[in-house]
Amino acid sequence: MSQAIKAETGRAARPLAGLIPDPGKIHRLSALLTLLLLIVGFSLASPAFLSVSNSLTVLLQTSVIGLLGIGMTMVIITGGIDLSVGSVLALSGVGTAMAVKAGVPVGPAMGLGVAIGAFCGAINGLVVTKARIPPFVATLGMMLMARGLALQLTGAAPISQLGEAFGRLGNGALFRVVEMQPNGFPKVIFPGVPYPAILLLIVAAGAACLLRYRQVGRHIYATGSNEEAARLSGVRVDRTKIYAYVMSGALAGLAGNVLMSRLVTAQPSEGVMYELDAIAAAVIGGASLSGGVGTVSGTMIGAFIIGILRNGLNMAGVSAFIQQIVIGAVVIAAVWIDQLRNRR
Amino acid sequence: MSQTPLVEMIGIEKHFGGVRAVDHVSLELYPGEVVGVLGHNGAGKSCLMRILSGAMVPTAGEIRVNGQPVKFDDPTDARDAGIETIYQTLALADHLDAPANLFLGRELKTRFGNLDDARMLKESRKVLARLNPNFKNLADPVSSLSGGQRQVIAIARAIYFDTKVLIMDEPTAALGPSETAMVADLIRQLRAEGIGILLVSHDMHDVFELCNRVVVMNKGSLVGAHDIEEVTKDDILSLIVKGELPADWTARNLEMSL
Repeated sequence: MSQAIKAETGRAARPLAGLIPDPGKIHRLSALLTLLLLIVGFSLASPAFLSVSNSLTVLLQTSVIGLLGIGMTMVIITGGIDLSVGSVLALSGVGTAMAVKAGVPVGPAMGLGVAIGAFCGAINGLVVTKARIPPFVATLGMMLMARGLALQLTGAAPISQLGEAFGRLGNGALFRVVEMQPNGFPKVIFPGVPYPAILLLIVAAGAACLLRYRQVGRHIYATGSNEEAARLSGVRVDRTKIYAYVMSGALAGLAGNVLMSRLVTAQPSEGVMYELDAIAAAVIGGASLSGGVGTVSGTMIGAFIIGILRNGLNMAGVSAFIQQIVIGAVVIAAVWIDQLRNRR
Repeated sequence: MSQTPLVEMIGIEKHFGGVRAVDHVSLELYPGEVVGVLGHNGAGKSCLMRILSGAMVPTAGEIRVNGQPVKFDDPTDARDAGIETIYQTLALADHLDAPANLFLGRELKTRFGNLDDARMLKESRKVLARLNPNFKNLADPVSSLSGGQRQVIAIARAIYFDTKVLIMDEPTAALGPSETAMVADLIRQLRAEGIGILLVSHDMHDVFELCNRVVVMNKGSLVGAHDIEEVTKDDILSLIVKGELPADWTARNLEMSL
């Protein structure tokens, strides 16, 4: 290589570059700090907040938001959005319940529910990529269709009496220790780790690895970062996007099963506005709605912030209406911080 | 040059509705030559280059690589045939780091099918060091790099993979003087290695400095293809603007050859 190539292209003036973490890490760090502050604040306000049983409740509530949030994060990283997850959750849960009622064993029935979710996601992906409908509109349409279908199939009535096996996923726990007392009543010594929390942990770890170590994950980031560049580099952009929407749909289906199992009832009207919680979790966790940025770990922090806010405000006796106002403000604040970060 | 051309484009057409963006253009490129592709904005040169890079499918015409007819449906097909493109926009994913961009769409994988980031980093370091020994910011997202560094990544990506034909679209338009010199130097080196280069440029200085031949497009048609020695800057400008050589060109060239 000849001499002239030693052109100066380095930006030499970055002496602190190694010491300052990148903006994504700062964002996640501040979110984590917020989470800790919330926990401290709420436990001071209400002593019951830190109790084992309430912690488990938070874990359960958060697992649904978390599962939705993971799928949402993938879609948001591609530069899209999925408004249909709340409705798809309901449709999948209803599908599972109807299968159980028809005599299908619980395991395969839940598999069917997840498949229904994945199918809805596939339609979202196809409409976005092939028909070139903006994600906002495409998934808004799916939101209405899935909800309408869930209500139509059930006649808007909940499906109950689904049997004990149906409720195990949502209500069961690993390492639960129960002791029979002399008076004949069982005493729970250790309530165990709820299955939904374990499920969330497994899915989160899997999704994080997928985004970090697999080609499709790399392509999800590339697509959201610069779609045209990704296409010119040989990334199958359409296929990548469809993959993200299918994942979002399937995880909405899984979340639906968890939620309906928890209630041991399939509610066609369950999950309204859950998409907003999922989006909020992703955005609070540092995902950028303009694409290319986002992590599963960040979204998990975001999901717990929302779950704990809801729970803590409940425990402190704050009305559901005020809760909406607070969470709305938190979402705006998170997006505002994101804007500041991108403007610099 | 009596060899087979690296690439031949024969009677290429591209229509958008009634508009003929590329109108029956033929072009060949031999090993070790740099052909300047000139013309106004909208003359059809970018369109022609996009067809050769597989980003656009022609309405009619044939492309041959080493004499064999080929069909490019997407950029991957063209890359597999050894045709690499450096786009004016550089086509980099801003949030990814240099190795991720360098191997985008062609990621190296481990035995288990995971991304082999360690090997990609090592290979990137090698090829980037060849282009610019000062390049150290391999872990930063490319959005934080300077224009020159981004250009280096785009070039590295184009030459890393057994390249035979390189399409460069305005490679120096966004660069400072020292970086421009670096690119010019690189072009000379690649030419010496027998790579064929199509250089889309508005910079007459670059064209006369680097090209063996020039082709000029005007309103979608090819209006001139000349060895660089037989034309002057004014001749080329006349081709670009009016679509024809100046009236005295034949006389001048007869004089020269006499």
